[in-house]
Amino acid sequence: MRERNIWWKAYVCVLAFAFVCPMAFLVDRPASAQPKVVKVGNILPLSGPSASVGQQNKYSQDMAIEEINAAGGIKSLGGAKITMFYADSESKPEKGVAEAERLINTEKVHLLTGCWNSAVTYPTTAVAERYGIPFIVPVSVADKITEQGFKTVFRIAAKDSWWTRDQFVFINDLQKEFNMKVGTLAFVYENGDWGKGFAAGWNKLAEKGGYKVVLDEPYPSTATDMSPLAQKIKRANPDVLLLVSNAADAILITNTMAEYKVKPKAIIASGGGHADPSFLKAAGKNAQHIFDIVEWETDVNKPGVQEINQKFKSKYGYNLAGESVDAYIAMYVMVDALERAKSLDPKAIRDALAKTKLTKGPAMIAGYDAIEFDETGQNKYAALVMVQINDIGKGMERISVWPKGARRTGYKPVFPIP
Amino acid sequence: MMPVTGGLPTGVRQRPQLEGWMLFILEDTINGILMGSIYGLAALGLTVIFGVLKVINFAHGSLLMVGMYVAYWAVILTGLHPYLALVIVVPVMFLFGYFLQDIIIKPIFKAEKDVREPITVIIVTTGVWYILDNLSLLVFGPQYRNIQDNPLRGKMLEVVGMLLSVPKLWGFFAALLTAVAIYWFFQKTRTGRAIRATSLDREAASLQGINQYKVYNLAVGIGTAVAGIAGVSLVPFYNIFPSVGVLFDIKCFIIVVLGGLGSIGGALLGGMIIGVVESVGAQFMAATWTEAIVYGLFLVFLFLKPSGLFGVKYEW
Repeated sequence: MRERNIWWKAYVCVLAFAFVCPMAFLVDRPASAQPKVVKVGNILPLSGPSASVGQQNKYSQDMAIEEINAAGGIKSLGGAKITMFYADSESKPEKGVAEAERLINTEKVHLLTGCWNSAVTYPTTAVAERYGIPFIVPVSVADKITEQGFKTVFRIAAKDSWWTRDQFVFINDLQKEFNMKVGTLAFVYENGDWGKGFAAGWNKLAEKGGYKVVLDEPYPSTATDMSPLAQKIKRANPDVLLLVSNAADAILITNTMAEYKVKPKAIIASGGGHADPSFLKAAGKNAQHIFDIVEWETDVNKPGVQEINQKFKSKYGYNLAGESVDAYIAMYVMVDALERAKSLDPKAIRDALAKTKLTKGPAMIAGYDAIEFDETGQNKYAALVMVQINDIGKGMERISVWPKGARRTGYKPVFPIP
Repeated sequence: MMPVTGGLPTGVRQRPQLEGWMLFILEDTINGILMGSIYGLAALGLTVIFGVLKVINFAHGSLLMVGMYVAYWAVILTGLHPYLALVIVVPVMFLFGYFLQDIIIKPIFKAEKDVREPITVIIVTTGVWYILDNLSLLVFGPQYRNIQDNPLRGKMLEVVGMLLSVPKLWGFFAALLTAVAIYWFFQKTRTGRAIRATSLDREAASLQGINQYKVYNLAVGIGTAVAGIAGVSLVPFYNIFPSVGVLFDIKCFIIVVLGGLGSIGGALLGGMIIGVVESVGAQFMAATWTEAIVYGLFLVFLFLKPSGLFGVKYEW
């Protein structure tokens, strides 16, 4: 009798469990229909070597989500609020993949975004593709991310290869604006992957554009004397000099070129060392009139930029950087797609993202004028910003000059260098 | 600078005429000699320390870095002409080297006094290198500094169409004067002779009543002071940052081997050879290749004349 009692109890327990479980679902369904929640998985390097940039990304996205939720969430989904599920990739590809699996299977996120490091984003997007979860890539620039034939990957930032493309578009626009011909180019670049990659792009574009390349010169970033290089540039006498440099060599080349009075019509740098804050300080007036290409600059002439940057600065203590801006924009692109999808079905969200045509709202703090994705999921209109270093009464500063829509009001670029 | 067919087999595709061509080579050679003499000056301290202690000082680049920071702050804080700052830099660096040897390296030396080539001391100098570089990173931060308004910055001298850098010219004369002064000191003064005696045979010197550890302190002090002079000659046109020594370190070693370990004139000449290879070579090939040539030269010397240009054949 005693024994039977135990079995009886166990039986009742199992029975009860079997009843309660579906009940829980029944209870859950109508409840979730009222305050819906959009779950967004966000994989970022929050520790490890890229922690500081990962953190900046998180800050700008937190700010965007706060704004969106405060403004009433996703209206077409009955005011659904957005909840972020952050995961730390530690800049490791395998960690990113594992976190994507976890976010999709355990947290049941509706969307994914991240992962800052191209090396992490690349394998992680494959996970999202497998589950059909839309993946918004704000900043990872490696070309191959949108060239995998995936249907669920959407990238906001300009691709790696577009940096060189935009430098050449800029040279073209410069010639038109100033009605002056550029015939010869010189390429001077650090001899690492980065510099060589740029040089390969430049050589192709120069051939296509009909420019004559008078100097194609790699140099070691550790060189202690740049005067041979400066002499070589001077003797090659190019119209436009294109540079890829790290910080110490950027300073040294700039100063040495000034000493040897090397004066091409324009000098166009590629971010990196030239965008390092200590470059402006150490090169001083020798840096004047150098053009530099970057993702974004705090002075791009678009509505809302100043307010949003001020808000960010007062919250976190520093200016928005190009990458944080892309991360911020990504959130508004997502909201726009959710509004049009009117559903949390990943397929519906993906289709809405593919039809994105964003031309206004906070996302337009970008330097370019519209966001639309091509069939590979790349933001077609993403463009970089060209700045010119100049002193217009407040010391040397970086002034946006291109694209024309982003140019600082009242500023006319100096070309050729006087 | 009219283009002409044939001529330089180089990345410069718009080729200059022959006359200009000669002028270019001359200009590059002079520039190479000027920059090379500064390399030689940087290596001079290394060769002095090696000549006496028989120890490769791996911290030499860091000593150069310290010298540059001392020179930088001396100029920034007092507003002196960079070369007048030598009045501050040389004694400060001498004392720095003297006590570095006395407090940190000497105990190891004593522990190893029965060994002819104290290898642990080399490891200690490596430790000093890391500590100094990271200490300056902590104290001064990673940013690149240079002295924006000093009377030498960006000054160029125009001689028959050639542009010569004035701060490097100063460096050239500083290097010559320093080399001559050290040579004179070693040859003519009592202390100098004591140092040379110790460098030839430390036991015999001790038997003559020379305190070898004091001589070592002096030698490191002098070597460090020379690194300070090299720092002063670089400051007017170079960037100052915590790892700047590393860039010069390897060059100094090559120069010292090229010129002969312990040889003062050799260091200067070795520096100039490297400077000229870098400067003239770069006009015929990519700058990346001139580095390969410098290292190749280094290997050739190790194979054919391991004692260097002026090194003595017998073992130290």
